[in-house]
Amino acid sequence: MMPTWPTASPPQGVPPSNGYTATYPVPAFTPVRVRQTFGQSYSAPQPSYPTAHPYGPAQSPPPVPTNFQSSAASPPTADEQPRKKVEWPDSVRSYVQRSFFPANMDPAVSREEMEAKLKETIMRASEDNVLYSIAWENMPLPQQIIKQEREERAKALAYSAQAQPLYTNAPVAISKKRKSTDLEDVANLSITPPWRTGQGARLEDRVTFSKDKRQATEESADNTSKLNKYEKRQKRFNGGYVSTYRSPSPPPGDGPVVGTCEKLEKNYLRLTAPPKPENVRPPRVLKNTLELLKKKWKNDQNYAYICDQFKSMRQDLTVQRVRDDFTVEVYEIHARIALEKGDLGEYNQCQTQLKALYKLGLEGKANEFKAYRILYFIHTANRTDLNSVLADLTPAEKKDKAIKHALDVRSSLALGNYHRFFQLYNETPNMGAYLMDMFVGRERLAALCNICKAYKPDVPLRFVTEELYFESDLEAAQFISDNGGQDLLQEKDGTIVILTGKAGQTFESHKAKAFARVDIKGQI
Amino acid sequence: MEFGPALYHEFGEAWKTRDGYRLAKTISPDLPPAQLSNIWQSANSAGNWKSARDDDVKAAIKRGLSSSPARLDGISQKEIKGWVEVYFAYWQATGILAEVQQTSSWTTAYEQWKVLINALIQGYNGHEFEAWTIPCLYVAGKHLRLFAMQADENTSVNDTSAAAFQDDFDPELQKHQKLEDCARVLNRVFSLCLSDRAPLEESRKWGLYYIINLLFKTYFKLNATGLSKNVLRILTAGRGDMPDFHAFPKSQQVTFKYHEGVLCFLEENYAEAEKHLTEAWNTCHKDAMRNKELILTYLIPCHLITTHTLPTEKLLEPYPRLQKLFLPLCRCIKKGELHKFDLALQEAEDEFVKRRIYLTLERGRDIALRNLLRKVFIAGGFEPVAKEGDKPVRRTRIPVAEFAAAISLGSEEKVDNDEVECLLVTMIYKGLVKGYISRERSIVVLSKSGAFPGTGV
Repeated sequence: MMPTWPTASPPQGVPPSNGYTATYPVPAFTPVRVRQTFGQSYSAPQPSYPTAHPYGPAQSPPPVPTNFQSSAASPPTADEQPRKKVEWPDSVRSYVQRSFFPANMDPAVSREEMEAKLKETIMRASEDNVLYSIAWENMPLPQQIIKQEREERAKALAYSAQAQPLYTNAPVAISKKRKSTDLEDVANLSITPPWRTGQGARLEDRVTFSKDKRQATEESADNTSKLNKYEKRQKRFNGGYVSTYRSPSPPPGDGPVVGTCEKLEKNYLRLTAPPKPENVRPPRVLKNTLELLKKKWKNDQNYAYICDQFKSMRQDLTVQRVRDDFTVEVYEIHARIALEKGDLGEYNQCQTQLKALYKLGLEGKANEFKAYRILYFIHTANRTDLNSVLADLTPAEKKDKAIKHALDVRSSLALGNYHRFFQLYNETPNMGAYLMDMFVGRERLAALCNICKAYKPDVPLRFVTEELYFESDLEAAQFISDNGGQDLLQEKDGTIVILTGKAGQTFESHKAKAFARVDIKGQI
Repeated sequence: MEFGPALYHEFGEAWKTRDGYRLAKTISPDLPPAQLSNIWQSANSAGNWKSARDDDVKAAIKRGLSSSPARLDGISQKEIKGWVEVYFAYWQATGILAEVQQTSSWTTAYEQWKVLINALIQGYNGHEFEAWTIPCLYVAGKHLRLFAMQADENTSVNDTSAAAFQDDFDPELQKHQKLEDCARVLNRVFSLCLSDRAPLEESRKWGLYYIINLLFKTYFKLNATGLSKNVLRILTAGRGDMPDFHAFPKSQQVTFKYHEGVLCFLEENYAEAEKHLTEAWNTCHKDAMRNKELILTYLIPCHLITTHTLPTEKLLEPYPRLQKLFLPLCRCIKKGELHKFDLALQEAEDEFVKRRIYLTLERGRDIALRNLLRKVFIAGGFEPVAKEGDKPVRRTRIPVAEFAAAISLGSEEKVDNDEVECLLVTMIYKGLVKGYISRERSIVVLSKSGAFPGTGV
C-alpha cells in the first residue's frame, strides 16, 4: 500500500521515527524506481516534499507527474548536467568525475548506490545554495559516504546515516517549482546545509554512544597474566574468519600514521591505501586491547574472533611503525595461539615478523621462537631455509635448551634414528609439541616401514607402542589399521604381535604419500 | 676507448669482421679511472665538454658512427640510431664510474649502467641490431651484476613507504634490492635471447648460456633456488629450437653444468646432481684449479651418498683447502669411529654450513656406523667349519649387545639397547646391512652372503 505523499502541506522536518525515516529532498530527476536497499530512495519529484523512507519498509513513490524526461537508471554524469539547466561549478563537475573513476570505485558499494548518493549530495548542495561554497575537492566521494554510513549504522543501531530533517521553513512556493529544470530558485532557501548540522551532530552522538559501551567493557576487563599456557589441544581451527571489505581511501599522508581511535576492538580489514587516523588505535589503546583479548581468549576460546582481532592489532602497529617490545609481545602471543590451534599460515606470518623484530635487537623469547622456526622448517621440509637458519646460529644459541632440542630433532630425523626422535618428542619444551604433531604422523609411518623390514618374524605390539610413543596399545593398533596393516595384527601367546615378516609393501605407499606434500594451510 | 677517430675506426673494424667481442670491448667499463675520465671528457670533440648538451653529444656520436667504415659494410640508419643511444649511455656511465671510487655512488653507477643495457635491449628489439653483436650484452650484463652487488653493499637499509600498506614489515626485503633489480633486467635479456626467431646461424640464442650463467650466479647469491629452477624449466621447454648444448663454448658448458648440479644437490636429488657435477668435472679445463675445487666441494659429498665411497688422498692432493675440509671426516668414517666423527663434524660445522654441505656430510655417519658394525662382524671370527673343505663362514648370529658395546666405544655415554636396535634397523632399511633382527632373542642375524654389501664381506 503506497504511502500518501503529503501534497500541499508545507514541508516540515519530519521527525525521525524509529530511526528509519527521513524527509528527502526532492531530487531534480525522476527515477522510476526507488532503492529498497540502503538506499537513497529516489523519490519522484513531487509538487511537494515527499516523505520518503529510505531505510524503512519498502515503499515506492507514486509515479511522478513529470513534464520532463528522466532517465531513471542513469544518474547524472558530468555530461548530463545541461538537463538541469543549472550552472555547475567546475569543482562539482570534477567531483562527479572523480566519483566515477574506476580507481575510486569500491566493490562493496554498487554503482547504483554510488550514483544515487552522488545525486543526492549534489542536489542537496544545490538546493541549499552552497554549490559554490562547499569545498568539493575535500568532499568525501559518494562511495566513502556510503561506507561511513554503513559503519555508523552498524555500530549505532539507531539512526540511519543520512537521516535528517531538512527543510523546515521552506515556503510552499518553492516546492511547487521544484523540478529538475529549475533549481535556480535555490536562492530562496535559507537554511544551513543539513549535513553540516544534523548529520554532524548525529555522528557525534553515535560515537559517544559506542564509546560509552566500550568504556564499560574496558573497566570490567582485568589484567590477566601472560598467555603462555601449555593447553591441551581443543577444537581445531576451522577457518572461520573472513576479511571484510576494504576501508575507504583518504588522501595519502607522509610518514607513519598517528592513530586516534579509542575503540578497543576492531575487525580486520585489508588495507589498500593509507588508513585514516581515526581508524587506527594508538599503542596505549592497543595495550588495553591486548589485555582484553587475553581474557577473552581464556574464557571463550573463539579462535576466529581472536585471530581477526590480533590481525587488526598487528596492522595498527605496522602502520604506526611501532616496533618495540610491545609489538614483539603481540606477535608472540598471536603466534602461540595460532600454534595451539594448528593454524600454520598465521603462525608462519608471525614467525617471519618476529625474526625481523628480533634482528632489530628487541627482547623477546627469541630462542623459543627460533626453536619453533627450526621445527617448522623440518615440517615443511624446507631445506634452503633450514640451511640458512643453521648458518645463522651462534654458539650461545646452540646451547639453549629449546634450540638444542630442535637441532637434535633435526639430526635424529636426518639419520633415521626414530628411537631418539620419539624420546625427544616426549620432552619438547614450550609449545613445540604442537609443531611436532604436524609431522609426527609421517615419521611414525617411516619408522613402521623400517621396523617391518628389519624385524622378523614379528614384534610385539607393545614394542611399537613404546618406541613410537603412542598413548596406548589401542592407539598403536588403530594407527596400524588406518594404514592398511590390520591383517598384520595377530594374537600370539596372549599378546598381540605385528607380523612384520608379512608386511611387505603395505606401509610403503602410505609413507610415500605422507611425505609427498607438505601443506601449510593458509597463507605463506 | 675515447670518443674520436680511434673509436669509430674500431667500430668500423669490428663491423667489417663481424667481431662481436671486439665491439664489446668498446663499451667495457673495465678501465682504470683515469682512462674513464678521459672518455668522459672526449665526447664532445666539437666544443667544451663541460657544457656539452645531450643532443650535441648524440649528434657528435652519430656523425662519428656514420662516417666510420661501418657505413660501407651495410649498417643501416636505424642501427646507427640505436648505437648512438648505446654509446651515449656509455659515455654518461664513464663519467660516473670515473669518480665512483671517491663518491661511492654505486647506486648511480648501477642505474646508469642499467640505462645502457636498456639501450642495448632496445637496440635488438627496435633498431635491428644483429646477432653477432651479442658479446656487448655479455659485457653489459656481467658488469650490471657487479655494480648491483657494489650498490647493495654501499646502501643502508631504509624504510620504504610500501611497508605501510602491508600488515607486517620486513627489513630483509631491502638487503639485495639492486641485485634483485639486476636479476629482473637479466631476465629480460634472457627472454630477448630466447625469443629470437632468426635462423640459428644468426640467432641471439647463442648468447643464452652466458646469460643463464649470469642469472644462476645472481640467483645463487640471492638464495632464490626457485627462480633458478624456473630458468631450467624454460630452457628445457625451448630446447628444441636451440643449438645443441655441446656446441656452446666449453667454459659456458662447465659453468652451466656446475650450477645445475648444485641445484640438484641442494634439493637432495643426489643421483641427478652426480651426473651434472661429473660432467662438469670432466669438461673442466685441467688448469682451472679454482673451478675444479668448487666442483669437488659438491661432488665429494654427493659421491658419499650415492656410492658410499670416499675420495682418495691422491684426488685431494692438489687441493689443500679441500684436504683440510674433508680429510679428518674421511678418516673417521673409514675407521668407523663414531664419536670422533661427531667431533670432527662439529668442528668444521661452520665451513660446511656455509657451503650448504653440512646436512649431506652428516649422513656420512651412516657409513661410519656401517664400517664399525662390519668390524664387529669381522672381529666375531668364524664359525666352526661344518665339513672339511668348506669355505669358512663368519659367525652370522651376533647379539645386539656386542654392537651396543662397539657403539659405546669412545663416547662417555652408554647407548641403550633399544637405540642400538633402532640404528641397526635403519642400517638394514637403507641396505647398508643385510639381515634381520629377532627381538625376542636380541640377536642380529646377518646374511651369509654379503652381509655388508659393497665392502667385500
